[in-house]
Formats: sequence, C-alpha cells, structure tokens
Amino acid sequence: MKTPVIEFKDFSFRYKSQTEETLHDINLTIYEGEKVLLLGSSGSGKTTLGNCVNGLIPFSFPGEIKGSCKICGKETQEESIFAISSSVGTVQQDTDAQFVGLSVGEDIAFSLENDAVPRTEMLPKVAGAARVVGMEEFLGELPYSLSGGQKQKVALAGILHNNVKILLFDEPLAALDPAMGMAAVDLIDQVYKAQEKTVLIIEHRLEDVLYRHVDRIILMHEGRILMDTTPDELLSSDILKEKGIREPLYISALKHTGIRFSEKEHLEDIEELDYEKYKGPLQQAFHNVKIERREPEGEILLNVKNVDFFYGEHQVLKDVSFSVRKGERISIVGKNGAGKSTIARLICGIIRPKSGEVQLKGQNYMKMSIREIGRMVGYVMQNPNQMIVKDMIRDEVELAMKLNGFTEGVEERSEEVLKMCGLYAMRNWPVSVLSYGQKKRITIASILILKPEVIILDEPTAGQDYKHYTEIMNFLEGLNRDYNITILFITHDMHLAIEYTDRSIVFADGECIADGPVYSVLSNDDIIRRANLKKTSLVTLAEHTGLNPETFIYNFIETERKARQNG
Amino acid sequence: MDDKRLFVNTTPGNRFLDKLTGKTKVRTFLILIVLLIATWDIRVILPFFILSWIALISLKPDWKKVWGVMAFVVVMNLFNLFLVWVVRPDYGLSICGASTVIFKFTDFYIITSETLWYFMVRFLKLLGTFTISLTFIQCITPSEMAAGLYSCKVPYKVCTIFSIAFRYIPDISRDFHSIKISMQMRGMELDSEKTSLWTRLKQNVLILVPLIITSFDRVGNIANGMDLRGYGKNKTRTYYAEHEEGPGDKKMKVVYMLFFAIMVFVIIWRVFFPGEYEVWCPWVS
Repeated sequence: MKTPVIEFKDFSFRYKSQTEETLHDINLTIYEGEKVLLLGSSGSGKTTLGNCVNGLIPFSFPGEIKGSCKICGKETQEESIFAISSSVGTVQQDTDAQFVGLSVGEDIAFSLENDAVPRTEMLPKVAGAARVVGMEEFLGELPYSLSGGQKQKVALAGILHNNVKILLFDEPLAALDPAMGMAAVDLIDQVYKAQEKTVLIIEHRLEDVLYRHVDRIILMHEGRILMDTTPDELLSSDILKEKGIREPLYISALKHTGIRFSEKEHLEDIEELDYEKYKGPLQQAFHNVKIERREPEGEILLNVKNVDFFYGEHQVLKDVSFSVRKGERISIVGKNGAGKSTIARLICGIIRPKSGEVQLKGQNYMKMSIREIGRMVGYVMQNPNQMIVKDMIRDEVELAMKLNGFTEGVEERSEEVLKMCGLYAMRNWPVSVLSYGQKKRITIASILILKPEVIILDEPTAGQDYKHYTEIMNFLEGLNRDYNITILFITHDMHLAIEYTDRSIVFADGECIADGPVYSVLSNDDIIRRANLKKTSLVTLAEHTGLNPETFIYNFIETERKARQNG
Repeated sequence: MDDKRLFVNTTPGNRFLDKLTGKTKVRTFLILIVLLIATWDIRVILPFFILSWIALISLKPDWKKVWGVMAFVVVMNLFNLFLVWVVRPDYGLSICGASTVIFKFTDFYIITSETLWYFMVRFLKLLGTFTISLTFIQCITPSEMAAGLYSCKVPYKVCTIFSIAFRYIPDISRDFHSIKISMQMRGMELDSEKTSLWTRLKQNVLILVPLIITSFDRVGNIANGMDLRGYGKNKTRTYYAEHEEGPGDKKMKVVYMLFFAIMVFVIIWRVFFPGEYEVWCPWVS
C-alpha cells in the first residue's frame, strides 16, 4: 500500500478579493513516488491548486478554504509556510524573479542560508546540488549571463538539497525554447528517478511534457477536476480540444485519418505507437495531395542585404540576407540567442548594420530615425504590460498618432482600428480590467493605427494557453487575410510556425541557415538539428510510416487550415 | 546584451582588500566614515586622506570611471565652497579665530588665509570621505555588504534590501530600455536636439508607467519565491558569500581596532575638550 503525500478532500477555495470560488470540490490523492501532470488552460485553477500544495495559499494569498488539504499527512492550514516548504520544493514559472542570489552558488544556497546552516556545511551541499543539475561549473556566474534554462536548473538545485519529498514545477516550460524545454523535461525525469521524489508538474503544453513518461494526468477545467487518468486514455479521448488544451500534433494527425482508438491504445510515447495499424490510414489520408508552391507576388517591402552586426567583439549576425513581400506571413525561428531578436531590432532600426544594408520599400534606412521607421514597421513586444502607458483603451490606441503630431482624423482612424481588432465595444473601458490576451490586442491596435506595412511580433503567444493562443492567432490571420498586412513572427513555437505562417526563416548562431516554405524547412532534419530546434512529432510520425515528411506536413497543414476555416 | 555595467562589483576580486570578509570591510568602512565626519583636524584628516588613496590605488580600479565621478565630486565641492565664500567671505574668522587678509576685492569680499585654510580642510575631509566610500564600493559585492551589515547586528531583513536591490537593478534598467524603444517606435521623439527638455521629461514619465507595473508584478513573484524557500523562518541567518576569515582579516582587525581607538579618542576629545574654535589652524592658537 502506497502512502499518500498530497490529499485533497472536498476542498474548495475562494480568494479574498473574489466573490466566486476558484476551486470547487477538489478530491485528489497523490501517492509517494508518483509523477503527475496537472493539466489545464489558464484560468482552470491549476496554478491555484499548486499554490495550495506549496503553502502560498493560505499564507501569501489569503482566502476562504473549505474541506481539507493534507501534505504528508498534515493539514496545511494548521502549519506554517516554512513547515510546508520543508516537504514541498517549488520551481516557479518566472525564472528571473525566483533567482534572488547574486551568483549561482548564492542562489542555490538561499534556503540553506535561511536555515542558518553554517557555511562549511553549506558548501558541499551546494556543490552536490549543482552537480545533480549539471551547473557545477557555473557556481560563480552572475544571473545576467545565464539562459532561462540554466536559471531553471539553478532553481531546481536550490530545492534539491533540502531533502523535500515533493517537487512542484509551475509551468516549467513557459520561458524555454523547444530544445531547452526538452532538456528540462528530461532533467525533471532524471531527478525524479534518481532521487525518488514525488513530482507534480503544472503545464498546458502537453506534448512537450509527454517527451518523458508521466504516471497520471489530472485535467482541470473551471476550477474542477475533470479527469484523473492515464496519458493513453486522455489522448484517445476528444476532451482536450474542448477544454482549450492543444493536442499533440501526431495525435491530431492520427485523428484526421478517422481511426478509432481502442481502450488499451498506446499513445503516450510516439516511438511506441502501433505503426502497423496506422500506416495504411495515414498513407491514405495524407498521401495524395500534391504540393502547390505559392509564390508571393506583392511588392518587396523589406530587403535585408548581407548584414553583419556585432555586440562589442561578438558577432551576432553574419551575412544575413532575406526579403519580405507585401502580405506574407513569415516565422523567424531559432533557439534563444540565435539572433532572432537581434534581427527584429535591426529591422526596427534600434540597432543598425555594421556592414550590409537594410532597405525599406527600396530605400536605405540608415538616415531614418527610429520614429520614421516606426511609421512603416510596427514592433509588438512580448509582454503587453511593457507597452501600455495610458489608462483608457482609446487613449492608448490614439497615443501613437498624437505622438506623431496628427491632429485631424485621429478619432476616425482609431475607431477603424478598434473595430478591426474587435475592441470597439470596449473603447471607453479602463485598460486595467482587461485580460492578458485583450491587452495584447490593444498593443497590436496601438501599432496598427499608424498603418505600418509590416508588423513584427515578438513571441506573440508566449505564456498563453491554447484557447488564447488560437484567439490571438486567428485574429492575426484575419488581419493578414482581410487587410493584407505583412506579419513577421519571431518565435520558437514550432506549432505556431506550422499552423499560421507560410514561410520560415531559420537562424542559428547569427546565420540565416534556411529560408523557404514552412513544410519543407521544418521537415528538413539537417536544419532542425543545426538550429537546435525540436523535431516536430509529425516528422517522427512520417518517418515511422514511410511517408515523405515534406508532403505529409504540407497535407497536414492544408487539412488543419480547412478544418479551421470551416469550423 | 547591452546591459550597462554598474559601478558596483558583482564578483569578488583577488586583491588584498577584495579578499577580506564582508564583516571586515563593513566595519573598517563604518569606523573610517564616522571618524572623518567627527573630526575637523587636519592632523587626523590628512593621514586618512592619503591612506584612502593608497587603498583605492591598490584596487587598480577602472580609472576612466573613477575620474569621471571624482571630477564631478571635486567640481561640486569647489562650487559649494565658492558659494560659502560668496555668503560669508570672512568665514575663517568664526571658525579659526583670526582674520589675515591676503586680498581685498571690496570691503566685504576679502580673501583671508584662515578662510582658505578652512576650505582646504573641508575639501580634504569631504574628498577623503568620498574616496573611502568609493574604495569600499569597489572592493565589496552587494552580498558581502549584506553579510557585513548583518555581522554589525543590523536585522537581516534590512540587509537583504541591499542585495536584492542590486540583483534587480539591471533587470529594471533593461525593462526601461525596451519600453523606451517601443515608445520611440510609436513616435516618441527622445532626441535632445529635436525636442525640448520639458517634453522629454514628460515622455520619460510616460515610460515609467509600464515600468512600475511590470516591476510590481515582479516584486510579488520575488516575494513568493523567497517565502517558498524559507526566507524569514528563523531569527538568524548565515551567508554563502561570507567566507571564513583569512590571515588578511586578522591583520585588518588589528588595524581597524586601532582606527576605532582613534575614533573614540577624537570623539571624546571633541566632547570633553572642545577648543574655542572648530578648526585647528597652525598659525592661530
């Protein structure tokens, strides 16, 4: 008989500031040594549930609790957050905010410092924990020089030496690129196996988490537990899409064939699928359509020619050339640090090429100011909170016109843009009442008002679940379709590139290593490896069933787009 | 990427002063500062002024940066002294007890050797204090400072403010930079030649709004992260950055105890045997 370590019984919770309960009737038991995924869209209550486990509820977020929540047999309400944190170690979502030390070693040691452990005992523990996560070489490094993945490793090391029983990961993949995300999932699995911990992962990126086995998946929706089951059973059901969770791509592909899954179908591990059974239907469903190459025909808006750029001695862009035509949808992909953001900053004129040339509508942009370039190129930052400066929606949207000295026609133009973005009904609302996704729309509207030819979006979907992701992307797709606005996505989300763009430009170590149709770029094994991207599961599926990856992905995209337009 | 380096050290160096513990550094610094503030006697100030320069030079700091701030401080001080002179040209009389006129502009605007003497003492005192502070900042990391203050019985929650502030200042400056850029792209003109100072000031305030909002978000997350790792659990705390005392610390202990004795002596002298005039002047008395 296994011992339960987390027990919720008829548990409900209401935040003090809210009138309705965020969690309703939670009954959940997690046993020692289990690895469990807590799945749900944003607003499903999964993070709230996680905060109940690590003690932030009720200690940092007061509210009303009904029922019982026991961690290692002890009722959390009767304990202190410190007592709970000695059995639950939490790795938070925001890798930057939880890095409180001024060096790696110091951050790992933080909880030991708080326990007043003498430094002589502290050093070997810190070194040991750093070794487990592979950061022993970096103990003296500053946080500013670390990548998101490394910061996360440090955060994990910081809770390992504490001998906690339960490891809680709150959206561990949110800040990582695909390759780092895979490494993180793998590391969690290694630690889970080597240290015999109970692991609870809170995520909405199902496919990425399933890169390594989990014992159980708990699906949450609107504050309730909807399903508590094995990965296989969850994947064979149709519940995911309904509840705003993205299905793994290979599962979507299989479902398009109309295959009926049996009850004991193995679907969790893509390497272990029953390929004999799927081969026929897959070939039938995705084989016949020929690739039609659609060449863009619009005028050339942007031309980057042989551009080099350096930060100090360090060359970050090497001989980069590409051009963008009106109405294109392009994804600029590559791992973090490959030069994607640098290229965006270059196009916006924030940095200028050391050699080579950037042309906007045929004109060299060296003499233009950032402000002048801003009339042609709009740049939407990742975090909308970093862009919004006004209290009222209308003021925010009109700001760019006022800054540019327009006095006439501001109102008409802003109304037009607000209608384009579906914000017209809210035009007199304060910004503060809006959701993250709505704020994102406002930032896009406030850029659109200047009628730029090109919009660059930096990670438009980062940190958003499938439902909001689809909402924003469909909105952008509409802008492109109905108003012929050129859109450049800077992203490391392969799904986004496949589903919503036609052309991909791939960066690795400051070089542009591929530029072509999405389906052929992302089915090319060599490019994927060089760019340190994640091979999409579609390619794996194609390889195992003897299909041509390129045509397979092409057909898959077509099928999905048709389904989206019809539904 | 283009983070501007702060004037603060984040990694410990390897010179003699760098290698001391935070405790030694903080104590020496506090004693010296109190000492210099307490005295107006050139016989005490001058040796410490020279000492502070030796210490600063021994650190081989980035002189370009040092000259920059140093020049600023010197200019501000000279200007300050000039203002004192404008208001009270014969200030030396009240503070040194004599008035030897060297030069006379008008009956009121005179230059006396005592005023000049006072100005020199005051200048050395302030510059000495500044050099000591600069040396201190150059040889200490924020974590060592927190540990050092903690060893002086400052509550650790106060000490943490120092280390956390330095941890997140670069992040905030990066945020500020990106917000500024996005505003420029939307048409904000920050070029000093094209817009007036007043407009630029107003626009910078506009940038602060999102900066404050993102910073508040961050503060909440940081606080939760610290709670979860047991911050505030105990009354006491240890510091990873506070290494064991080395031979240098033992030597420095003797030195700062000596400084302490001088400081106590100076203060007692001033309290119990105050002279008629504030500043000792060799040719008066």
